[in-house]
Amino acid sequence: METVIQVSGLRKRYGDVIAVHDVSFEVGRGEIFGLLGPNGAGKTTTIRMLTGLTKPTSGTAIVAGRNCVRESLAVKQRIGVVSEVSNLYNEMSAWDNLMFIGELYGVDKSTRSARSKELLEAFQLFERRQDRLGTYSKGMKRRVRIAAALVHNPEVLFLDEPTSGLDVQSSRLIRLIVRELNRKGTTVFLTTHYIEEADELCNRVAIIREGRIIAEDSPEKLKASLQDERILEIAFNKDVPGLEASLRANGSVVDVSRQGDRYHIHTTNASVVVKEVAHLASLNDLEIVSINTKQPSLEDVFVKYTGLDTVQLERLELLGTAKIGARRGA
Amino acid sequence: MRNFIGKALCIAKKDARIYYFKPQIFGFGILIPAFVYLAFSLGREIPPDLLVPGLAGMVSLFGASSVEAISIAMEKQTETYELLQTAPVSTAGIVFGKSLAGSAFGIVLSLFTALGSALLTQSRIMSPLLFVIGVVLGSFAFSALGILIAAAIRDMPTVNISLTALRLPMIFIGGVFTPIGVLAPGLRLISYLTPLTYMVDALREAMVGPTVSLVIDLIALAAWFAILQALAAIVLKRRT
Repeated sequence: METVIQVSGLRKRYGDVIAVHDVSFEVGRGEIFGLLGPNGAGKTTTIRMLTGLTKPTSGTAIVAGRNCVRESLAVKQRIGVVSEVSNLYNEMSAWDNLMFIGELYGVDKSTRSARSKELLEAFQLFERRQDRLGTYSKGMKRRVRIAAALVHNPEVLFLDEPTSGLDVQSSRLIRLIVRELNRKGTTVFLTTHYIEEADELCNRVAIIREGRIIAEDSPEKLKASLQDERILEIAFNKDVPGLEASLRANGSVVDVSRQGDRYHIHTTNASVVVKEVAHLASLNDLEIVSINTKQPSLEDVFVKYTGLDTVQLERLELLGTAKIGARRGA
Repeated sequence: MRNFIGKALCIAKKDARIYYFKPQIFGFGILIPAFVYLAFSLGREIPPDLLVPGLAGMVSLFGASSVEAISIAMEKQTETYELLQTAPVSTAGIVFGKSLAGSAFGIVLSLFTALGSALLTQSRIMSPLLFVIGVVLGSFAFSALGILIAAAIRDMPTVNISLTALRLPMIFIGGVFTPIGVLAPGLRLISYLTPLTYMVDALREAMVGPTVSLVIDLIALAAWFAILQALAAIVLKRRT
């Protein structure tokens, strides 16, 4: 497969802080590649270096065959960038925004007119094309922002948190369009903290923590790397103090977490743990409401590699949404 | 080069459309110079050869520097400046495009003011072409000055305050209401360090006819524009 993004030893230092630490990876043409990580892990700094917005301290990044530092304008001509914030001009209509962006990328008038029409129709916004962007909802603005990044038909599309803080309908439409674009040959590089989104969209993902890539593979292969672990999901009819500690005491139990009224028990030997659970239930006069064996999800992979627990993960998703909401409101 | 100018024009058209009609532009670009003029002219007899160039220069300074200072500050705040940064256009191209929009605003305002005040005072402009060139070069320099200030400062209120704090002393020492010749030697020396001095002097010379001094003034204004434009591009690149 032809390599479209080639990153080698990329580092970014801000004073004494190293935001991105000698990162290396490759993305092939036609792939959807996801960069996953908690806030402050280095996702946005990496995407900014790849899109020519930030100069790396050291290392090289080649995008669409051009060096991101020495040939940054040539790189920018070949890529589309959608930042976390829907940063278009609220004073202009969706149509005028797209026409302006097209002109800035050197697309001739008839082509950018045809392309804007096609994109606004695909994003279900053509009827409102002459309305000022300031009157659009958050989801609609995000759709126009993605459309604007596609007017010049880029080889690679960079999406920074594309669906963060959006309603379900807009998120689904955006995911649908990303898949469709990819089917037509556009390479997509996205950062997200929505792990389900990465699992659903990406051919390959890299997990970044404290500026270093700590895992990189296809979602299925990453999940398979945890195959020696099983997750037992158990719900009891009532809560008993100390039950979690009793479960942890079993030698085959790797980890225990609470999700709502269910316990998630990570184990290397499910049958031993099931017997132990039945014993504990009988001892504490508990009724087992449900018991399931789960395959590890990409979220489990993320939790394992980043060291975040479920509560931290939920907080992270809320934080990401709140951060984007606050920036949009500004 | 064609590509550079084409993209700069695209940015200029967009800025003209969005920012020319912002209330801040009316306040900082038109109202303030109008009040300054009234404050200094009421009850005073200002000779036409001082009034026409002084007013045209002051209006150009406020108009041209306000549009792009406000545009840069707003675009940094709403992150739309990042949209320009991700496009295949250099920082110099962005600054030049913004200079075009700001200077066009300053040129139109300044020429209307010059024409109006010349008609009211029944003055004649002996070298109208050189007068227009003076207005154009001065407006370009002031527009780049506005961009430089906005590039160096993060938030909109501080940009407006800093720009006003810089422009008001320029009016007092730039020969707008008082000829430079009557200034104290120290102030006269400082006055040569502001582009407004060269613009007002160029316009005054253009009213009487082409002179050597006028050519020097025009060269100085072109140099001011080049220096401020380069500085604005460097600061904008570093600060964003």
